[in-house]
Amino acid sequence: MSTPGSVRSGAASTYTPAGGSPADKAARKGREGTRIFRWEGIIPMVLFIVLLCAGWMVFGERLIRDTMAEAGTKALGTQLDIADLDIGVFSSAVEIRGIALADPFDRTRNLFEIAMVRMELEPKPLLEKKLVVKRLSIADVRTGTTRRTPASAVTGPGFAPRALKEVQKFAKQFNVPLLSLTPFDTLKSIVLNPTQLKAVQAALSLARDADSAKQKLENGYASLRLQETVDSSSALVNRLQGTNVRTLGIDGARKAVADIRRAAARVDSAKARVEALVATARRSVDSLQAGVQRVDDARRDDYAFARGLLQLPSFEGPDIGSALFGRVTIDRFQQAVYWTTLARQYAPPGLLPKESPGPRRVRRAGTTVRFASAEDYPRFLLRRADVNVTVSEGAMGGAYSFAASDVTTDPAIVGKPTLFAIRRAARGSNVDSLRVTGSLDHASARLREVVSAQAAGVKLPAISIPTLPYRMDPGRGVSEMRFVLDGEQISGRWSVRSRQLAWQTDSARVRKLNTLESLVARVLTGVNELEFTADISGTLAAPRLAVKSNLDRQVAEQIRSVAGAEIARAEARVRAQVDKLVDEKSAPVKARVAELRADADRRITDARARLDQEKRKLDERLKALGGGILGNPRLPGE
Amino acid sequence: MVRRVAAFAPIRLSKVLTLLKLIRSLLKTLHSDGSPGQLAAGVALGAALGLTPIANAHNLGVLLLLAVLNVSFAAGMFAWAVFVPIGFLLDPVFDRLGHFLLVDMTSLRPFWTTWDNVPGLALTNFNNTVVLGSVVAWLLLFVPIYFLARFGVLRYRATIGERVRQSRAYKALQASQLYNVYTWFRP
Repeated sequence: MSTPGSVRSGAASTYTPAGGSPADKAARKGREGTRIFRWEGIIPMVLFIVLLCAGWMVFGERLIRDTMAEAGTKALGTQLDIADLDIGVFSSAVEIRGIALADPFDRTRNLFEIAMVRMELEPKPLLEKKLVVKRLSIADVRTGTTRRTPASAVTGPGFAPRALKEVQKFAKQFNVPLLSLTPFDTLKSIVLNPTQLKAVQAALSLARDADSAKQKLENGYASLRLQETVDSSSALVNRLQGTNVRTLGIDGARKAVADIRRAAARVDSAKARVEALVATARRSVDSLQAGVQRVDDARRDDYAFARGLLQLPSFEGPDIGSALFGRVTIDRFQQAVYWTTLARQYAPPGLLPKESPGPRRVRRAGTTVRFASAEDYPRFLLRRADVNVTVSEGAMGGAYSFAASDVTTDPAIVGKPTLFAIRRAARGSNVDSLRVTGSLDHASARLREVVSAQAAGVKLPAISIPTLPYRMDPGRGVSEMRFVLDGEQISGRWSVRSRQLAWQTDSARVRKLNTLESLVARVLTGVNELEFTADISGTLAAPRLAVKSNLDRQVAEQIRSVAGAEIARAEARVRAQVDKLVDEKSAPVKARVAELRADADRRITDARARLDQEKRKLDERLKALGGGILGNPRLPGE
Repeated sequence: MVRRVAAFAPIRLSKVLTLLKLIRSLLKTLHSDGSPGQLAAGVALGAALGLTPIANAHNLGVLLLLAVLNVSFAAGMFAWAVFVPIGFLLDPVFDRLGHFLLVDMTSLRPFWTTWDNVPGLALTNFNNTVVLGSVVAWLLLFVPIYFLARFGVLRYRATIGERVRQSRAYKALQASQLYNVYTWFRP
């Protein structure tokens, strides 16, 4: 290419700095002045673009496949593998083969493997870097497959790792009771450390608060300058004792009236300070009283704590139910919370610009800002998908029909909730019937997700019994689950019914059982039906779990009949021990609080009385001084 | 130790050769028959390739302009090489500038919303803070770069240009072309 400023390789430059002839210079200037474009430059550009296209054809699909796998992994918080990608440039269709998505909660398994996904896209939105899927077809799905190599953990600041952390935090908030089956012969006294008791800690803290409140009250009382005010007023009253206008003269009387008014103002000011002190004292005393209440509340927690140290078996049904099925229930709801949290992050409401990390490159990635408009296409939209999927192997094998509508990243543009449903009906197979329906409503500011699942004649998962070396195998039964996340409010129910409950010994945990354990094991293994319901409620920040089952009712009754009296005695002993330790610390503090309250009331009443008396005396002096001649000037505050 | 030296020797040699090529390219450009204005325009355009992230649509436009406008293509390529490290250094500034324009300046939001939703324009990646910040910075610096480069070329040619051309070092650099020819046939 011939360009100004460049010379042919190896050729001598024609540049002549200062000594070029004027004729040459003029000729060159003239030539350059007339020519702005060199159209022949388009030829190498065209060649360059052809080379770019060729490079794209060779490496483009591989590049996009790797980018998709990386972006998908980051987006979903779990490893996404893609074996092959085929882009039909002229048909605007994409075919992805060999998709495997690892389970974020078990990295040795895949949530699913899909042999082929074909998407037909609308071409115009592609020019806006948007994906609008016209048609979707999926072939050969397998679920719950074992991975050849465990998936690598996804870390970093993305949405998904953050969601996973949030969900793990959510799961830790549940206080699942332990199934404690301590033998009767080992129920013994415990030595409690007073510093471990919350009530003792609360009492010590209250003592410090009481000291501080007392000091504050003393300071407040001193700052009233009550004695000074009373003394000054008394001196004035004494000085004016027996005087009148005639003895003082007009000027003297006027001065005396002014003195009385000043003294009265000082008394009023002191009264205002007393009233301010009343408010402060009342707040302090109320706060101390609340502290006393906290000590009593903490004592109840201490009973539970001390009882826990004894490892007494509970014969409360809900405790046993939570101990048996709590963990497995939390696992189920944890997964629902994870996927809904992710959906909230990737499909947020509103049309405000959305920031996300820029593409990975050698240079700084920066932030990519998406600007949505109600009149335009959303960033991603799957208008409608009706797919018949065949799960080729595993317990869930068979044909399923899957439908989804309005799956989008910009629900405010679409204005409708995302709906999805999975159905299967095939009696005699591994699953008699399955129906999953759900909606993600992010079109308005209040986000709401609802997922319902019903499976009948399905092989239910085996559950290990905590503490005991047994596993329950519910066999085939009915399982129903409903999960609603409405704003921050969470509610859900998982119920399982089976008439084929079988018990298996867990060989890895076999050991000699104590009396109570043997009893509970005998009760449990004698039951051949399972019916349990787990309810979750509250908020994401403070969830509550309640589990009821036919097993916990039977176990509770047995424990109560065999060991109820013994356990009640042990509980009474523990409560007495807690009471003794707590009373040692809290009784003096409570007395101190009561004393402080009485002292504050006494001092305030006294201050009010003294100031009122002084005010009365000043008033009388003023009346005596005026004697009706000057008229009675009004005292401040009258 | 010997193995380490042997392993690093080719890398060091290639770096030296790249540097030599750069210097030679600079001198060749300075001593070419292009006018100072053409050289300066090439530098100002080529600065875009170094200042902004390369794999973006606007750089295709810059390359096209370098090819079809009567400016120094070699100067453009030289500026690309020179401005790449500057671009890396200024990335945090570009990021902040882009963030200011895209996010903080709410009055521009309707403009960016339109831009991001017009077919074709959305492919410019101007909704990325670093891309937008660097392009805007380049546009702002275009005229100063042009005049600085023009002044530099004029001063160079008026002062030491001829002396450099006659120097042994320049001739040696010119002779290094022979080494290039040798490398083509090297086994």
